[in-house]
Amino acid sequence: MGAVLTGLGVGLNAVAAPIFKVAPAAKLPEWSKSTAGTEAESEVLKKAIASVAADLARLSANADETSAEIFEALTFLLEDESLFEMAVGHMDEGWGAAAAYGTAVNEFAEMLAGDPAFEERIADLQDLSKRVQASIAGIHVGLDLPAEGAFVIVGDDFSPADTAQFTKAVVGVITIKGGPTSHTAIICRSRSIPAVVSVADANELENGSVVLVDPVGDRVVVGGDLSQATKPLEFANTGAEPLVPVRANIGSLEDAEAAAKTGAVGVGLFRTELLYLNESSQPSVERQGELYASILAAAPEGPITVRTIDAGSDKPVPFLNMPEEENPALGVRGYRLIQDHRSFIEDQLRGLEAARVATGREIWVMAPMISTAQEAAEFAGLARSLGSFKVGVMVETPSIAALLPDLEGIVDFVSVGTNDLSQYLYAADRMNPSLGALLNPWQPGLIRTLESIASQAKAAGIYSSVCGESASDPAFAVLLAGLGFNSVSSSRSQVDAVRSALAAVNESQAQSLAKAVLAAKSAEDTKSAAVAALSAL
Amino acid sequence: MATFEATVTVIDPIGLHARPASQIVKLVKDAGVTVMLGREGENLVKANSPLMLMALKIKTGETLKVSVETEDDGQGTSIVAEIQEFLKG
Repeated sequence: MGAVLTGLGVGLNAVAAPIFKVAPAAKLPEWSKSTAGTEAESEVLKKAIASVAADLARLSANADETSAEIFEALTFLLEDESLFEMAVGHMDEGWGAAAAYGTAVNEFAEMLAGDPAFEERIADLQDLSKRVQASIAGIHVGLDLPAEGAFVIVGDDFSPADTAQFTKAVVGVITIKGGPTSHTAIICRSRSIPAVVSVADANELENGSVVLVDPVGDRVVVGGDLSQATKPLEFANTGAEPLVPVRANIGSLEDAEAAAKTGAVGVGLFRTELLYLNESSQPSVERQGELYASILAAAPEGPITVRTIDAGSDKPVPFLNMPEEENPALGVRGYRLIQDHRSFIEDQLRGLEAARVATGREIWVMAPMISTAQEAAEFAGLARSLGSFKVGVMVETPSIAALLPDLEGIVDFVSVGTNDLSQYLYAADRMNPSLGALLNPWQPGLIRTLESIASQAKAAGIYSSVCGESASDPAFAVLLAGLGFNSVSSSRSQVDAVRSALAAVNESQAQSLAKAVLAAKSAEDTKSAAVAALSAL
Repeated sequence: MATFEATVTVIDPIGLHARPASQIVKLVKDAGVTVMLGREGENLVKANSPLMLMALKIKTGETLKVSVETEDDGQGTSIVAEIQEFLKG
């Protein structure tokens, strides 16, 4: 067997095919002055814009509907009249076409900066600027993917403009950067293209050599074939009850209805912010009550855990007027909104109480982004004064994970959001494509923190559960049960797979799996310890 | 040239972002008229550039002044109505 490179797998199917390396973009020439004059330079710019527009039109013709819309929007930015006029202004100062256009784009980028709604548009605009400048310099910046054959493409990371160019010859994808939630990972998952992202050593792969892309094994095997692919773990559906209850994550009426068709016992995470994103003013308590009642009535049998609003300046709710922030992940978000919006959080709880009374469902409420025991106590007091709920808090910040003994007698339950807990534990921005490997839930630092949360919660008599993305992975869910969590909550599409895995183990098997995982010292070793323990069942 | 003036309200939860800006510019270009748009009391911008419209950074709930250069009030009314539609999100 050839060299094995490790990364993070996306998908369940493997593929073996020759490597096609996507060349890093050629360097653009330095900006320079021109003696040709504005008229000549503006003709050069016009031609370059037309040529990039033609490229976009060609891509659009071969793309699916969503991508075609993206290309149309890009064309509008590309052909913007004010942008052209500003570029002409710089030509009047003696700059060449490339410099004039690049400068004009930078000026617009500055005008649009600071508004989260425009961040992606600025990135698009800069991408267009590069394409126009490349066209002026006669350099090609497209991916130039083969249209025929079958290839595993290798690159740094792929942007939306890149993935829209994927041809049917792209049967596998390897990226050097990017994490489990990067754009590349999301697109590959939705199109069922086997991928391994965050493969730090992928630069070593050579064009034309055959590799096995083995997402279940989180690896790429040089010279490998399909017979070496790691099989996904399969658990027969025995009809037995899972070791701990499996609940569903929902965010809408549609989710609640779909979750009710799975084996989920209740809801472990009801994300409420989605209900407010399209409201231009704060809905009344009555209206909120009706909305919640319809969703509660449709949700699967069992307790329903509702998370109070989890918005921030990167996830703004229109009527809350959230100011822009340098660093939204570390800013005023989740329960911290109570500083300025106490009446909103109170009304939300009142609406939930009205819905609880109307439907007779058992409601647990929890607040996100809690970092002190005082915040937890304040929320618990507020929630109990407004309704008959079980009351809990999310464990997402490392500080509250260290303070669980102080919550004894204050909250009934805690629920761990592993995505944010990873982000804050590892100081790794979830949006940064270079840090994906740190956000792998199999990182020992996260798993050992989870172990401490489960045991501290138990000692304090607090019910504990996990509702992060990691609980949608069947093997990880068994680990969580083995660590002592009382329940898990998965995305609705994964509920039944997680249930089957948890039905295949008993308590002592899950505990010995957890013990083996806790002894492992790297993200690769923790996962293989879990897989080995499950395969031995 | 006479102008037809009216106000519209931004209802779209993301404000006046790229998509409505492009829709407005396309409408204005297709109609072949000059349309100015902006906050009341501020300088209006010519609605032939999505980037200029986006650079106004108009948020949900704001009211905008729309000025259409046309002799035909019927055309003015229908352009304003379409712009309002684009701003509903």
